[in-house]
Amino acid sequence: MVVPDADSRHEVAGDRTPLLRIRGLGVCFQDFEAIRPLDLDVLNGEFLTVLGPSGSGKTTLLRTIAGFQQPTAGRIEFDGRDIADLPINRRPFNTVFQDYALFPHMTVRENVAFGLRVRGVARATRDARVRGALGIVELEDLGNRYPAQLSGGQQQRTALARAMICEPRLILLDEPLAALDATLRRQMQKFLKIVQRRSGITFVFVTHDQSEAITVSDRICVMRSGSIEQIGTPRDLYYRPRSRFVAAFFGASNILEPCRIESTGEATTMVSTPFGAMRVDGPPPQVHEGLALAVRPEALVPAADDTCNRIECEVVSVSFVGSETITELKHPQAHHVLTMKTRSNPSARQPVVGSRLEVGFDAAACALVKGARE
Amino acid sequence: MRMTGYVPGAIVLWAICILFILVPLASFLAYGFLPVVDNAIVYEPTLDNIVNIVSNSSYRTTFLRTMLLAFEVSVFNFVLGYATAYFIWRRSPAWRNVLVIALAIPLLMSYIIKIYAMRGVLGTNGLLNSALLALGMADEPVSALLFNLTAVRITLSVVLLPFMVLPICVALERISPQVLQAAADLGASEIQTFRWVIMPLSLPGAIVGAMFTFVLASGDFLAPELVGGIEGFTYGRLVFSQFGLAFNWPLGAALSVLLLVVALAVISIARRLSNPRWQS
Repeated sequence: MVVPDADSRHEVAGDRTPLLRIRGLGVCFQDFEAIRPLDLDVLNGEFLTVLGPSGSGKTTLLRTIAGFQQPTAGRIEFDGRDIADLPINRRPFNTVFQDYALFPHMTVRENVAFGLRVRGVARATRDARVRGALGIVELEDLGNRYPAQLSGGQQQRTALARAMICEPRLILLDEPLAALDATLRRQMQKFLKIVQRRSGITFVFVTHDQSEAITVSDRICVMRSGSIEQIGTPRDLYYRPRSRFVAAFFGASNILEPCRIESTGEATTMVSTPFGAMRVDGPPPQVHEGLALAVRPEALVPAADDTCNRIECEVVSVSFVGSETITELKHPQAHHVLTMKTRSNPSARQPVVGSRLEVGFDAAACALVKGARE
Repeated sequence: MRMTGYVPGAIVLWAICILFILVPLASFLAYGFLPVVDNAIVYEPTLDNIVNIVSNSSYRTTFLRTMLLAFEVSVFNFVLGYATAYFIWRRSPAWRNVLVIALAIPLLMSYIIKIYAMRGVLGTNGLLNSALLALGMADEPVSALLFNLTAVRITLSVVLLPFMVLPICVALERISPQVLQAAADLGASEIQTFRWVIMPLSLPGAIVGAMFTFVLASGDFLAPELVGGIEGFTYGRLVFSQFGLAFNWPLGAALSVLLLVVALAVISIARRLSNPRWQS
């Protein structure tokens, strides 16, 4: 196993050529369109997460890339070569399955060695490489155990080592952490991220858990009803969702609507909302109808002198929940109650219920989203 | 107290097992240790019967011939049964159910009817001879198919095949489809997947099937009686003759003790082989 040291990982992360290029890929089951024709580039060396609720087509997409599902339309190019017709055992990458799918009759070592064994790699080389892979996943001492004798996390790491042994340039992971308890999940998230960084292998990771996606990913591809809703970095998706669906998927937002566009510039858009006129930074919206302005509760702050978007409100309720204080605010011209989440500060005064408070948010901390109220 | 309802239940179950299974079996086998003097059983336990059997060369020959016969049938059915089970397993789920049921139906039929059916197949004017003649593979009916040891081999193989196929089917059915996908994903060809994944995972089922076949074939007396002729004289027939013809129950019981010992040995070996370490 070739593991580049920490210094060279920027090179890997800096390589922005697509390793996997998907064009017009569609999958139909009888008359149900599981995946509507979509395009997706997976960049070399990145950790890309395909995120979506159940039934969004994310697992079907992964299974189609892996070769377990035949596409009804489109091309899958790996490193410039069309692989859509290649049988599973000829595809140049490996999969980590949701329930690990370890060979129950083989020890950890034999499981990990399987990929080398089918390729006829000599025993001595095989043993050395298996030892290396077990070292990476920290399972050196459990090589002789059978899967039934391992904990969930250990099985998970065995499956990862087994998928990595042939040094694929891409590994597909199908909800690999779904069966683990919360603590172990968080550990494994960190662990996967570290292994991915160090090995430089491109990861395509499927999950329905948005916090998991934010923790591990370089980029996230959000799917909904068989289509890609938005692709971007975790920060992009969190702060600049393009649709109400994406905004809601990554946690609560204040939705200011109806929202009308007054003027658009190259990097700023002026809009009018029931809460007043607001400035939104970022590229101009692609559609001009049915928009709303989404503001994260923690982006809303008591207005300072330089706050550009300001709303004069009445404090409805204040709840102290430890590290944060949640304030609900009402604006005379809008029915909607705004939620403000601020870091609790022992020396600052808490807002008083019934008092007036001017709050605001940064023009870069809000996003115009499309989609009707859900 | 929860235990009050449970304890009498367990006692009743144990009592039924002991009273209706173990006691009759033990009292029958006990006959094997009683000598016969002047056609009358003497109630003084000895090992004379066993010693007589072991030192009698014609009993020994029959015993060894029967064990070999059961072994041959087991090996033949192991191969045939595995191929059949594998074929069934590779069908679509709907077909699989139909085939498994078709395979299990003969188990509900009378054993004697099945043997007579085989007599019809193997006889001089039987199905097999007609087929051979029609295909030009024989010039005249082959009479060597019936009333010999080969007829016993064929009949036992056919009649016992479901006992081999069904456990293998169960074992194959238990293999997770994801495990097979994982093998393909790691680059294994179909042959490699079969050799390294499917076969080892279904072998415990095949061993159980082979055990069933061996134990049933080694003790059988009806099939050899009906299709075996003089040549097809087996240990089962020997035991049978002590009860039906010779009226020497102690000798028959002593012969049965040996058969029981063999069966228990085979079952314990199969149990060990079919419970590999990885199934912990």
